[in-house]
Amino acid sequence: MLFPTVDFAVFFLVVFTGSWLLRPHKIAWRWFILASSFVFYGWWDWNYLALLSLSIGINWFLGLAVFRSLTPEGERTNASRWLVRIAVVVNLGILGYFKYFDFFVSTIADKMRSIGISVDAPILNIILPIGISFFIFQAISYVIDIGRGQWRKPLTILDFAVYLSFFAHLVAGPIVRASEFAPQLDVLPDPRYVRSAEAFMLIFRGMFKKVVISSFLAIQIVDPVFANPNAYGPLAVLLAIYAYAIQIYADFSGYTDIAIGVALLLGIRFPQNFDSPYIALSLQDFWSRWHMTLSRWLRDYLYIPLGGNRGSKAMTYRNLFLVMIIGGLWHGANWTFVVWGAIHGSYLVAERIVKEKWKGHELGLPPLLVKAMQWFLVFNVVCLAWVFFRATSVDEAFALLGRLFASSGSSAGVSLLLIFVIVASVASQFVPQRFPQKAEVWFATWAPALQIAALAGGLVLVDALGPEGIAPFIYFQF
Amino acid sequence: MTSPGRNPMKGKSGIPSGGRSPFNWRSLFGPLRPRREGTMPAGLIIVVIVLALCVAGLLDADSTLRKSNAKGEGWRNGIAKTVASVTDTLHINFFRNSIDDALGKNQGTKIDVEELLRQQAEAESAASAEAAEKVPELPAPTPATPMKIWVGGDSITQTFGTSFQRITQSTGIFTPTLDFHVSTGLARPDFYNWPEHLVKTVFPANPSILVIMFGANDGQNMVGADGKVLERTSEPWMTEYRRRVAATMDLLKSPDNQRITIWCGPPPMGPGTKTRGMDQMSYIYWSEAQSRPWIQYFDTWPFFSDSNLSFAARLPNADGVVRGMRQKDNVHFSTVGGDRLSWAVIDRIGKLVDLSAGKVTPPAGQAPPASLVERTEIPPSMPGAE
Repeated sequence: MLFPTVDFAVFFLVVFTGSWLLRPHKIAWRWFILASSFVFYGWWDWNYLALLSLSIGINWFLGLAVFRSLTPEGERTNASRWLVRIAVVVNLGILGYFKYFDFFVSTIADKMRSIGISVDAPILNIILPIGISFFIFQAISYVIDIGRGQWRKPLTILDFAVYLSFFAHLVAGPIVRASEFAPQLDVLPDPRYVRSAEAFMLIFRGMFKKVVISSFLAIQIVDPVFANPNAYGPLAVLLAIYAYAIQIYADFSGYTDIAIGVALLLGIRFPQNFDSPYIALSLQDFWSRWHMTLSRWLRDYLYIPLGGNRGSKAMTYRNLFLVMIIGGLWHGANWTFVVWGAIHGSYLVAERIVKEKWKGHELGLPPLLVKAMQWFLVFNVVCLAWVFFRATSVDEAFALLGRLFASSGSSAGVSLLLIFVIVASVASQFVPQRFPQKAEVWFATWAPALQIAALAGGLVLVDALGPEGIAPFIYFQF
Repeated sequence: MTSPGRNPMKGKSGIPSGGRSPFNWRSLFGPLRPRREGTMPAGLIIVVIVLALCVAGLLDADSTLRKSNAKGEGWRNGIAKTVASVTDTLHINFFRNSIDDALGKNQGTKIDVEELLRQQAEAESAASAEAAEKVPELPAPTPATPMKIWVGGDSITQTFGTSFQRITQSTGIFTPTLDFHVSTGLARPDFYNWPEHLVKTVFPANPSILVIMFGANDGQNMVGADGKVLERTSEPWMTEYRRRVAATMDLLKSPDNQRITIWCGPPPMGPGTKTRGMDQMSYIYWSEAQSRPWIQYFDTWPFFSDSNLSFAARLPNADGVVRGMRQKDNVHFSTVGGDRLSWAVIDRIGKLVDLSAGKVTPPAGQAPPASLVERTEIPPSMPGAE
């Protein structure tokens, strides 16, 4: 079920009403939310529910087994370490099968063909279940946290099922940790004080970003140029690259805005997932603002276990680079994602080296100019990496980048409106948070009739400005 | 949020506090003074959401009906129709329609294809009707007298067409025009009317060859001539779709029989795509083209499938190197796939028109293997096809 649809609106009305009516009844409420989440997920394909149920069952059982194998003081034992490893392998095995099997087989077959050995590759054309990367990562974090002794007792299977399948974060995040979610199951929110203004604003903003901004940029320039870069000239290609940076932000952050807003209406607070990433002055800063819940997951469950920055500088650089490569591969089985990760990893390492070398040195330039140069560099590096993220193959990415230096080519799709949307979207990230917050507080004082008119008008406007039909969210595929 | 010990859902009387005071409609019109900034009681939120959705539903009824018609949602379509008819009667749809007018969207169509065909038949002389019984004979293009070639269709044609435009241009004997419109086809003339576009825009430019591809967006419900919603790929849907295909093909006949249309069937679609009925549509195109010599059906299917005629994302070209033919969505062509199809179509054109004056020998890295050929007969359906 897609968020900006009539189906979801009806679904949510039922869930909202049922949830607040059943909230005082802890067990009934949990069953209701679990059933709602299963309906939401099964709306695409009921067959996927088996996988979700399996993931819930296996991870809950392994979490329990890990907990029981800890010492009474919560210290790790050999058994707990092994059980955690098994959990990680099982989860990554499921993810690997659905996400990487075909890629792995076709890559080997291509290599063999290139040395003259003809093989009939057993490509299974596996359909990737929606949101699998998100719920698998949440499940892994749960078992590892127990293994680290961070939980005094494991969740009941019902609580764990509600946590893993909760519809608002199920298909495209944010990647919520059990330690953030589970305590909210036991705390009864006050129905008199639901944070409606913030939720409405988040949902409307998310819909506008997804349905209007993301769709417009995709249709106007991104899809045509990335589909056939050879036909376009430097201006169109440059704007398509910038437009894609905005498109993916609008698409993904739009989804999480809606998810956070929807959860908030049910009295559940999710962690923030985006914080104006395109204002970052360094790539490290960018990663503290972009897909924040994935960044911290990679930090806590990959970077730190690899040694983090506890070893030598060389080891720290290696760890940074590796984490970004693996982060790239998490997005999908394609060399383009590896290159995307490598660009980020290399730049993060370079950034550290330069910072250490230049510590205490002054350039003698006005601070504002230095900041502007830093911003420009980081933004363009991020955009460069997005080219590989979006392209079908590494060759196509290079072909597109090559067109930046072409002497001719079409400028179809380039318009003042397009440039305005790109510039305005980047500029909007520099608006201080206090302004939308003030608007939310003000909106909450409006007469309900006025709020109804504003919300209805907003919905109609979004629908009118958007294309016919809603394209799936980009991050569903991950 | 409150502490876990206290149940905020209940007041002193034990009744949930959200429902303690009876609802008063007048309270909807006074400003709110929430005790906590930015909050509202859950009960009032339900009222706000329900009423906002109802108002939006009424204002947006026409748009909802268009989408519902496309999906053909049974009882939901019935509701959408009823709401749209009410809003139409009360002119509530004025707000949304004004926005659409201002944006130039959903203008619908006033063109009658049947009427166009009648006019065409009247204008056609007996001699030209006789000539139309055979494949048009077009003069051989040369660099001095290049041939106008037009390529158009939906978003699949976007990639294929840009390759085709580049490659035909490079032959030196064609003057190509690319004309694609995303999300279009023959199923939704209210969204984009291809027959109208052909008549108004394409024919006046007088191209000698048209290369056309539809289908990927047509696997959706249609509204028949009587206003009934036809469920996609049902028997009535097939009949209506066939009628539209036939009418469009008839429209493509030039009065002097000096125009050939290469009608490309859709390729097989990969797993996870929402497209449906590509095989059945291919059959309709092929079978309708059989009785119209000015339409040459080109069977793309074998060029983008494995030896079992099943979807294949990666295939070897004539040089034996395996490359990705499709984009990540498993629907659209990659540049490599677009190049492959372009050379295959040019090869097909070469069988109808003398292209010897142009550079029409494809590089082995771009063209399909010589062993690949079109099917001589298209089956009505293919089990397992997307």
